[in-house]
Amino acid sequence: MNTFALAPLLLILPFLGMLFNLFAGTRLVRQDAQTGERWSGWTASILVIINFVITVTLMSSLAANDYHAIIVPLWDWFAFIGEFHIPWAMQIDTLSVTMLGVVTGVGALIHIYAIGYMHGDEGFARFFAYLNLFIFFMIILVTGNNYLMLFVGWEGVGLCSFLLIGFWHDRKDGVGLANSRAARKAFIANRVGDAAMILAMIMTFWTFGTLEFQPVFDSAVEMFTSSQAVPLFGVSFELGVVLSTITVLFLIGATGKSAQIPLYIWLPDAMAGPTPVSALIHAATMVTSGIYLIVRSNVLFEIVRKSEYLLFGVISTNDLVALIGASTALWAGLIAFTQWDVKKVLAYSTVSQLGFMIAAVGMGAYVAGLFHLITHAIFKALLFMGSGSIIHGMEHGHHHYVDHHRGHNGHGEGHGHHDGHDDFDPQDMRTMGGLRHKMPWTFWTYIIGTLALAGIFPFAGFWSKDEILAHASWNLTALPDQWIYPVVYALLTLAAFCTAFYMGRQIKMVFFGEPRSDVVAYVPESDWKMVMPLVILAVGATLGGLINLPHFTEASYKASKDSYGESNIYLAMEKAVEHSIESFHLTETGVVSMPYTPTWVQMTVAVVSTILALIALLLAVFVVYRTKPEQATDPDPLQVSPLIKYPWAFFATLPLDTLLVKGFVEKLFNPFSDWIAMRVDWDFWHDFVHNNVIRDTFNTVADFLANILDPKGVDGVVTGLGKVTMRLSGLLGLVQSGNVGNYALGVFLGLVVLVTYVVALGWMQ
Amino acid sequence: MVVTVEWYVLLGAVLFTIGALGVLLRRNAIVIFMSVELMLNAVNLVFVAFAYHLGDINGQVLVFFVMTVSAAEVAVGLAIIVAIFQSKKSIDISELNTLKG
Amino acid sequence: MGSPILFIILAVVAIGSALGMLLSKNAVYSALFLILNFGTVAVFYMLLNAAFLAFVQVAVYAGAIMVLFLFVIMLLGAEESEQAIRQTGWQLYLSVGLAVILVTAVVGSFLTGYGRGEPLVGAAVTPQQLAISMFENYIFPFEVTSILLLVAVIGLFVMSKKIVKKG
Repeated sequence: MNTFALAPLLLILPFLGMLFNLFAGTRLVRQDAQTGERWSGWTASILVIINFVITVTLMSSLAANDYHAIIVPLWDWFAFIGEFHIPWAMQIDTLSVTMLGVVTGVGALIHIYAIGYMHGDEGFARFFAYLNLFIFFMIILVTGNNYLMLFVGWEGVGLCSFLLIGFWHDRKDGVGLANSRAARKAFIANRVGDAAMILAMIMTFWTFGTLEFQPVFDSAVEMFTSSQAVPLFGVSFELGVVLSTITVLFLIGATGKSAQIPLYIWLPDAMAGPTPVSALIHAATMVTSGIYLIVRSNVLFEIVRKSEYLLFGVISTNDLVALIGASTALWAGLIAFTQWDVKKVLAYSTVSQLGFMIAAVGMGAYVAGLFHLITHAIFKALLFMGSGSIIHGMEHGHHHYVDHHRGHNGHGEGHGHHDGHDDFDPQDMRTMGGLRHKMPWTFWTYIIGTLALAGIFPFAGFWSKDEILAHASWNLTALPDQWIYPVVYALLTLAAFCTAFYMGRQIKMVFFGEPRSDVVAYVPESDWKMVMPLVILAVGATLGGLINLPHFTEASYKASKDSYGESNIYLAMEKAVEHSIESFHLTETGVVSMPYTPTWVQMTVAVVSTILALIALLLAVFVVYRTKPEQATDPDPLQVSPLIKYPWAFFATLPLDTLLVKGFVEKLFNPFSDWIAMRVDWDFWHDFVHNNVIRDTFNTVADFLANILDPKGVDGVVTGLGKVTMRLSGLLGLVQSGNVGNYALGVFLGLVVLVTYVVALGWMQ
Repeated sequence: MVVTVEWYVLLGAVLFTIGALGVLLRRNAIVIFMSVELMLNAVNLVFVAFAYHLGDINGQVLVFFVMTVSAAEVAVGLAIIVAIFQSKKSIDISELNTLKG
Repeated sequence: MGSPILFIILAVVAIGSALGMLLSKNAVYSALFLILNFGTVAVFYMLLNAAFLAFVQVAVYAGAIMVLFLFVIMLLGAEESEQAIRQTGWQLYLSVGLAVILVTAVVGSFLTGYGRGEPLVGAAVTPQQLAISMFENYIFPFEVTSILLLVAVIGLFVMSKKIVKKG
């Protein structure tokens, strides 16, 4: 029995949930916060849980169907504009179901978590309405069987992202303004990518005459094998050229949605939204849609690779994708070093990890990228929700602290300077420390998330990150003429090192050491609705590697290859997803040549990356941040030569101490990291380029349009027409004197003219 | 000299013009109304003359209808004038300027 | 079509009575002049072999309608007006000018022979012929006319009700 008929429910249920929360939920919460929140939150959550169950049944149905894709048509969307025919149909294949699993699984947990997190918020029901709407659009995005439906979801999740980043736009004290600015920034940065998406779709339609995935890919393959040229604008182009353009436009779209260089700037600001949003949208699901897009279009990308067309003769699209991903991974990893905000660290970390995935799909390791996408969704959602738990705890602790404080001194000071809106920032890691005793559940799950993110064996991140690195290192020798693999391998290894370091820094500053503010003493553990999802995700982060467990040795792989197809625990995901990634079959038939991803552990790579990660973690925890910062006002020890105070601790035994610490760390690395973070990223990229170059240019143009062209030109014509009409009607109004005699005179005049005309006609003859 | 249809047309034109002048120039709404009747009569006269001239009976039938309609028109029109007089206490047409735009 | 002398005499009476109607200050005189005019027109109808119409003209127009006029004039006490001619200035000149042009155009066309044809001798139309034509060819307009009259009657009832201001 298959359950594909249930697929439309995936769309219907969250939409119903959205409607329920929008109309009934808001009212219920207003009437009675306690029961209203229960109804609103649990309705939304249970609908998503049902969706997850449906996804699981779809998965098993697909397996029973030998992993063949099923199209579930709902209705014809565009069927009347000439040859432009777009159905509204859901494509259920292993790729979309994998994405669905992430969206609904992680989504359901985050919904439950949000019931606890958003407790007491005025916009409780509105929040869940947005979340359900987001799930709705995300499901459209991943299940659509054509690019246009994908784009509907793509825009829809952008809208929800905008709504949810600016969720607290009505807060007082300028916070609300900052929130709405952040929302606007995210929206506008995404529009840049979306414009490229639209162009890509137009070109796709011009080239292939359709936007449905399978027909596009089929005709692309056919045109490629028959070396058919593409007529565009009256000129014939090679297919490789056209597809390079399309794929570059897809890449630009992906850099917007998935926060890659140069459009990543919106993601750190997006942390202004409530933490469940950061976990769901800005870590686990929406930001991965760029990767999904590239994986979905793998045939186009592989044809580009095979056609060996270089953009401007410099770089192929695939290499560009990989390079952008790898650079972003390292770049954002370096920036994360200097963040104080507990969520900003995770935000840059997300940018960095997305870079890993983009690099993977750029190198042709689609399954590895997807694998990392899944594990990352799990452990990054875990980390974000952990950080939300921390922030929640810090806020509550602060309230208790203020109450307590006022209780002692309240009588003396009539002014009551604590009104809950002082300078205390619950997200600043400098005010934390020693939280492990206060929040044991959060602490242990956070540690698991950190180990998974850092890529420590045997947590989930190890397997997925390692598969990407293994792919790079394998092809480094297998395809020696490709310069991209060593570059990506080096960048990603460095980025992995950075990842472990900033995560070590974070857990050290948040959980270990002595409390750096009085608030910590009052921090409570979060309630079960928040802890339960953490625990479930922690289990996922620990065991996630199992979904695509590689063979441990080449021999084992070879042995199982003979009995391929028999179910065993190895490479379960790869076997499933391969059916959706057509490039595998095309590689077998020799149409394209997708780079090979080794399916057994590359011992060298694994050992190197694990050791680097361990070193970085230990370095952060036990050396650099061993004692500092002691006070909330202390600067980052990384910025003040960490090893000076305790030179014997690590490097003292080395004769290179002076050289390393004085020369490298103090003179080179600190300024370098500071320079990247403050000067290049913030001052140059954020402030100068975005504020001055882009914003000011835009403002000037907009100013010209708004204050000169519009009022003088456009309005001039419009109001001019109005004025002329006014004058004319004023003139005509004189005729309307109300004196009926004049009207009669007019009639008589007409009569005389008529008669005279007729008589004159007679005279003429 | 024989009386031809042109004579009647000429007479009709003159009567019509006088009626028109009455409509255009007089103040009294009732006189204006009478002028309208004069104009109708002028046209009727021409109709009958042409009916005679062409030997066509339809002209006379048309005159009969004009008379019927003008009878109805007079009845309603005079009632309107009475109503106007009741509200305005005047039937001076130059005071009826509520149509002023 | 009658003798030219009879025509000219009748025409002079018709035009004179029309001018009298136009120029009388007293509305009652205007009405009486108009009755004379209608009577003259009735004679013209006789000359044109339209006896039925001539009688209807006298009975309906000169009789019923003009009595109604006189009745209303006297009911409203509107017979006297200080100034018969309402229009002044450009409206007066324009009206008279247009009137002159109209007459000139028609007279001009008459004098230049426009449309001049051989005078036909029309046959006398008896009331029977008229009735047959009316009830055979024009039965539908005839019935519509009856509806028109009915509407006029109802309209009169509505109009003659006193206007009651609400509130």
